[in-house]
Amino acid sequence: MRLEKCWFCSSTVYPGHGIQFVRNDAKIFHFCRSKCHKNFKMKRNPRKVKWTKAYRRLHGKDMTQDSTFEFERKRNRPERYDRNLAENTLKAIKKIDKIRSDRASDHIKNRLKTGKVQRQKEARKQLELGIHLVKAPLALAQDSSLCLLKIKVNVSQAQTEENQPMEE
Amino acid sequence: MIQPQTHLNVADNSRARELMCIRVIGASNRRYAHIGDVIVAVIKEAVPNTPLERSEVITAVIISTRKELKRDNGMIIRYDDNAAVVIDQEGNPKGTQIFGAIARELRQLNFTKIVSLAPEVL
Repeated sequence: MRLEKCWFCSSTVYPGHGIQFVRNDAKIFHFCRSKCHKNFKMKRNPRKVKWTKAYRRLHGKDMTQDSTFEFERKRNRPERYDRNLAENTLKAIKKIDKIRSDRASDHIKNRLKTGKVQRQKEARKQLELGIHLVKAPLALAQDSSLCLLKIKVNVSQAQTEENQPMEE
Repeated sequence: MIQPQTHLNVADNSRARELMCIRVIGASNRRYAHIGDVIVAVIKEAVPNTPLERSEVITAVIISTRKELKRDNGMIIRYDDNAAVVIDQEGNPKGTQIFGAIARELRQLNFTKIVSLAPEVL
């Protein structure tokens, strides 16, 4: 039993799933499901299809180089069964998997950081321009603290007397 | 799913190029032949000036089909074309070389010579 990688989307193909296609030059293509198989028959290039791992790696959306990938290389020599080795390997697989997924999500978070600053800037600008949608103009005029823009309010003597009860 | 009138490529060097299935060997009501079935075929195209020539009736065993081969462990294998290997009455191949990957099922069906000649066994 061997867990293969889908040729199109690079997800793991578990036993009992998917189709293997043997081309006339004896190259074998594994597919995880009929979606990938049909895309292959349509002669689509996975590097151009947005939801595949190949596209994401090529365009820097996902992590490409990491030392955790070294553990998952294809080995063709069968190992003699050793109970300790098997136990340690299973423990290691769990740990390495966790580390790899943490690093991958960090990679994506860092990638999205610059967008967050940009979005906040845009949001602030939009609030300034559209403050009349948020607060009524009358309320803005009365209480200048609600407005983000600096508005000059000419305070006359009569107005300050009216405000005094409010401040108390 | 090979039936009479199906054209098959020849996957060995037995000087025939293309076969047309005439009959599926087995139960008389059998409709389709799959990988590992023996068929009676007529040679539609052959390499010129060789012992095998056009419109000669021979037996062949099917090596690969475009219809998927399903295994008990859930593996499904599909090939790119329909191909056969020319054999004699005992099941020994007429040619000396086999081209292409061969499915493991042929070993269970006692085509050991074919399996041993194959470059790759799936």
